[in-house]
Amino acid sequence: MKFSGNWITEMTGGLDVTTKELAQLVTKKTAEAEGVESVGEHLTMVCAARIEQVEQIEGSHNRKAVVETKLYGTRTVVCGAPNCRPGIMTAYVPAGCVLDGRRIEKAVIAGVESDGMLASGAELGLNRETAGILELNAEPGTAIPGCGPDSIIEIDNKSLTHRPDLWGHHGMAREVAAILGRPLRDPVDLSLLPEGEGAIGVNIEDYALCPRYSALVFENVTVAPSPLWLQYRLEAVGLNPINNIVDVTNYVMAEIAQPMHAFDAATLNGGTIYVRRARAGERMVALDGEDYALDEQALVIADGEGAVAIAGVIGGLNTGVTEKTTRIVLESANFQAGSVRKTSSRLKLRTDASMRFEKAQDPHNTLRGLARAVALLRQVSPGIRLVGGVADDKGELVPAPPIDLPLDWLRRKLGRSVPSEQVRSILESLSFGVAEVKAGEFQVTIPSWRATKDVSIKDDLVEEVGRMVGYDTIAPEPPLVPSSPPPENPERNYLHQVRLACAAQGFTEVSNYSFVNQAQIAELSLPEADHVKVLNPISSDQGLLRTSLMPGILRSVRDNSRHLDNFRLFELGHEIHKRAGDLPNERLHLAAAVYSKAGDGQAGLFEAKRLAECLLKNAKVRQTEAKAWEHPARAYEVVWRQQAVGRIAELHPNLATGRAAVLDLDLTLVQEMGSEAVKYQPLQRYPSSAFDLSVLAAERQPVVEIEDLLASYAGPQLQGIEFVRQYVGPPLAAGQKSVSFRLRVASSQKTLSAEEITAIRAQVIAGMEKSGYELRV
Amino acid sequence: MSAANLESLESLEQDALQRIQSAAALADLEAVRVELLGRKGKLAGLSKDMGQLTPEERASRGKLLNRAKQALEEALEQRKSAFEDTALHTRLQAEWVDLTVPAPGVRPGSLHPVTLVQREIEDLFVSMGFTVLSGPEVETEHHNFDALNIPGDHPARDMQDTFWLEGGYLLRTHTSPVQIRGMRKLGPPLRMIAPGRVFRNEELDASHEHTFYQIEGMMVDREISVSHLIYYMKTMLEGLFRREVTVRLRPGYFPFVEPGFELEIQCLLCGGKGCPVCKQSGWLEQLGCGLVHPNVLRMSGIDPEEWMGWAFGLGLTRLVMMRYGIDDIRHLQGGDLRFLRQF
Ligand SMILES: [Zn+2]
Repeated sequence: MKFSGNWITEMTGGLDVTTKELAQLVTKKTAEAEGVESVGEHLTMVCAARIEQVEQIEGSHNRKAVVETKLYGTRTVVCGAPNCRPGIMTAYVPAGCVLDGRRIEKAVIAGVESDGMLASGAELGLNRETAGILELNAEPGTAIPGCGPDSIIEIDNKSLTHRPDLWGHHGMAREVAAILGRPLRDPVDLSLLPEGEGAIGVNIEDYALCPRYSALVFENVTVAPSPLWLQYRLEAVGLNPINNIVDVTNYVMAEIAQPMHAFDAATLNGGTIYVRRARAGERMVALDGEDYALDEQALVIADGEGAVAIAGVIGGLNTGVTEKTTRIVLESANFQAGSVRKTSSRLKLRTDASMRFEKAQDPHNTLRGLARAVALLRQVSPGIRLVGGVADDKGELVPAPPIDLPLDWLRRKLGRSVPSEQVRSILESLSFGVAEVKAGEFQVTIPSWRATKDVSIKDDLVEEVGRMVGYDTIAPEPPLVPSSPPPENPERNYLHQVRLACAAQGFTEVSNYSFVNQAQIAELSLPEADHVKVLNPISSDQGLLRTSLMPGILRSVRDNSRHLDNFRLFELGHEIHKRAGDLPNERLHLAAAVYSKAGDGQAGLFEAKRLAECLLKNAKVRQTEAKAWEHPARAYEVVWRQQAVGRIAELHPNLATGRAAVLDLDLTLVQEMGSEAVKYQPLQRYPSSAFDLSVLAAERQPVVEIEDLLASYAGPQLQGIEFVRQYVGPPLAAGQKSVSFRLRVASSQKTLSAEEITAIRAQVIAGMEKSGYELRV
Repeated sequence: MSAANLESLESLEQDALQRIQSAAALADLEAVRVELLGRKGKLAGLSKDMGQLTPEERASRGKLLNRAKQALEEALEQRKSAFEDTALHTRLQAEWVDLTVPAPGVRPGSLHPVTLVQREIEDLFVSMGFTVLSGPEVETEHHNFDALNIPGDHPARDMQDTFWLEGGYLLRTHTSPVQIRGMRKLGPPLRMIAPGRVFRNEELDASHEHTFYQIEGMMVDREISVSHLIYYMKTMLEGLFRREVTVRLRPGYFPFVEPGFELEIQCLLCGGKGCPVCKQSGWLEQLGCGLVHPNVLRMSGIDPEEWMGWAFGLGLTRLVMMRYGIDDIRHLQGGDLRFLRQF
């Protein structure tokens, strides 16, 4: 929202700070100023001038004009405007003046020296008129009436979300007056409103959606361009001047935040304005030329025949003011914020009016809008006459209850005390009513324009007082609270340990999106029905939520394999599983990948296994049926404390060039299993002895199975069994391997004798042979 | 001792010393030792007939023999240790290693920059008695909006471009729902922070992401004021930037706090004078914060007449980009190891 410094200054009786300083003060105390921009600086040099003499330049469409400028004497300029003729008063721009960044210089045009230029309204930044030079009603040498340099403060709309009153200059002027201790001038004179019955009927269907609809009828209207000062002011705050009637409605909106609309009375059917929900299938062509399809949730303004405006959003094209208009109905209404917001977002149409109504405007403001318009219309449309009194239909306007503000509570909230007299003067400067009902407590009444949504509880007043005394007057201070260790979050600590362990093993952390698309899940044969759907994805690439980290890991593997020959990466993230009638089940997973462009892939699988062992003490793997995206002979389950907690597999060679081993662990499950308490085992008192055994087995017999079998035959005196090596090749038969183990035995009662050790060894050998294994002793 | 014997002892000794000096290997030394000093060696031979000598002669001969023996032993020892020194030197020289060759084995990987900064903030708050909470990425409308004082038709919902999901759920647009979960789980008094991934329906470009990270913080106790809020924010920011910072609050609107603030720090680059980084304002916006709105406390079962609180929400992603000078937000979710390995 753009605020004119001049406009604010007019309502605050002159300011002794620069607009830049003002913007900083407003930022600190009210709303964020994003910048200050100067406009119309050139207007101090431009003056009115009478064209004395005009002469066509031979061979050119330009003319040579002699102008009397008074201020700069008589000057000769070259002008191409069609309306350049003797006797008219226009705007003279001297050499040296800068227009829109371009410096005007003396120049020879079509062989004639032009000393300065005559300018159009657009060239001077006053309006958008480019057809010809200005025609003024002023004395030569004087400035263009009502048009001087201005500074525009741009305020971030987001910081005005909760302040309906700040969508007009008067509201901002009130803030400025309060900040600087200046008086505030009200541009509205309610005594201008006519007495008596309205000249048009108003019928509101639902006061909840339209708390108030006020209107005035005017006749003898002349539709023409607005005076330059009015056009310039609208232009300066980013509004487009159209004609005097529409400009007045926009001016009032920009001044006191009351959106208004003018209908051509001759185009309205019947003598009553209806405020009602749109009918199913109802359509309306709006002022922007678009044909809008309405539904029963939209509120419209209608005449006897149909919709003439979409309430609070935009007027209809066929009932708008045109050059032919002589009689108007001026609407000044109040609509429910939520309803306007919904309609505007459904129609994808945000207007200056809808932006204001969305913030919950004050229903008391409708009459102020009409009164202000009366004054302005008399100025811009001479001879205009009011017809009848104010038509005003409204629901019950319940005043907001006063707020009790205990001053000690205010001190506790702010963390500093503010003298009661200062609290009072701050609140009063912002138009709050303050009464001291009992010692140390104020009863505060809320001005109607702050009561719609913004201020309703004492906490809201903490902000009013706080910002005005200045938050920089509050010293940082630690609270007096008991010091105690915070409740632990074991999950967080565990996750971080996992991250550190992965990094220590050489893996780098990546972060992939929670979104996946159909192609990604099809590639991994993940059923689409298991995925939560996004109803409004930015692109179809983000239509589903991931039920596995694998699609992201696969993407990371592929992307990185374009640049790197070897890498390790991991991700910690949520799998999101659909669950009927409840929030999805989010499970935290670790996914890691070891990639190698060359090699047979075995090393990567063992790295993945080592990572699992680093994270889960004594984790085991067991071969399992491969999924579609896994190497058919290289898929394993990770088993920890007798539970399957994840998988290790090589990516199917069809999915990526090179070899990628992946580990996927369900950390939510691991967390749920909890940690096992550590219990001390007494150290072995008697020495242990070791002997080696080599077992012949089928080549694809898992080593762990042979090991388990050996252990079962060794009995209770087995202390440990260690894999030493395995061998395939001659002299062994094809499909056979020899696996060597070292078995360590001991007793907790005594030192085992050589005979006892030999007996254990013989028992193991006998057992293995009985189980069908040959031993190479 | 006869003159001849004496002479032969002398020449024996001279000759042996000569051989010791010119020995080419340890074996040569050993030969000399055996030949002269061994049990059947030449020196032993010279002392064989000692029994026939007078005590005086015996004493004088013994002295001579001992001196010769000592001299030879010393020479042998010296020479032997010289050989050993040389041998050691030769062996060690042969053990030359080129350590400029890369060491084998895996190097540690690195943690994501968001993880690194998040961890710093977590540690900082945990040291001040805060607990770290987490919440789901998929949320209910209730937790994400209503319980945070953002009802259905509230214009603040416009500020949040929400990803809606089937079943009426949504992807959380901020970490603030964890405030609600935290209050309901812990009850007052409480001190918590909640870092996490959040989602906004925005087109991707160098400075906009639909997936980014925030940290939420909240404290509820009997006596909580703006002054305490400033204290914690200043402490956090000074911890993060590792230097003293000047903070300021200005009014800011967030429906779940009242009053609400935008917190800024004086520009660390220009010290407040104005520079391109702070867009000439002298201040850098850091986070939104405020005193917890009584409606929010009430909706989470906490009596606002009895308890007060502050809360803040910080854009972790923005902070990470500032910390490391990252100019393209897309790197963070991009998974490119050439980027990620730099941290
Ligand atoms: Zn700066």
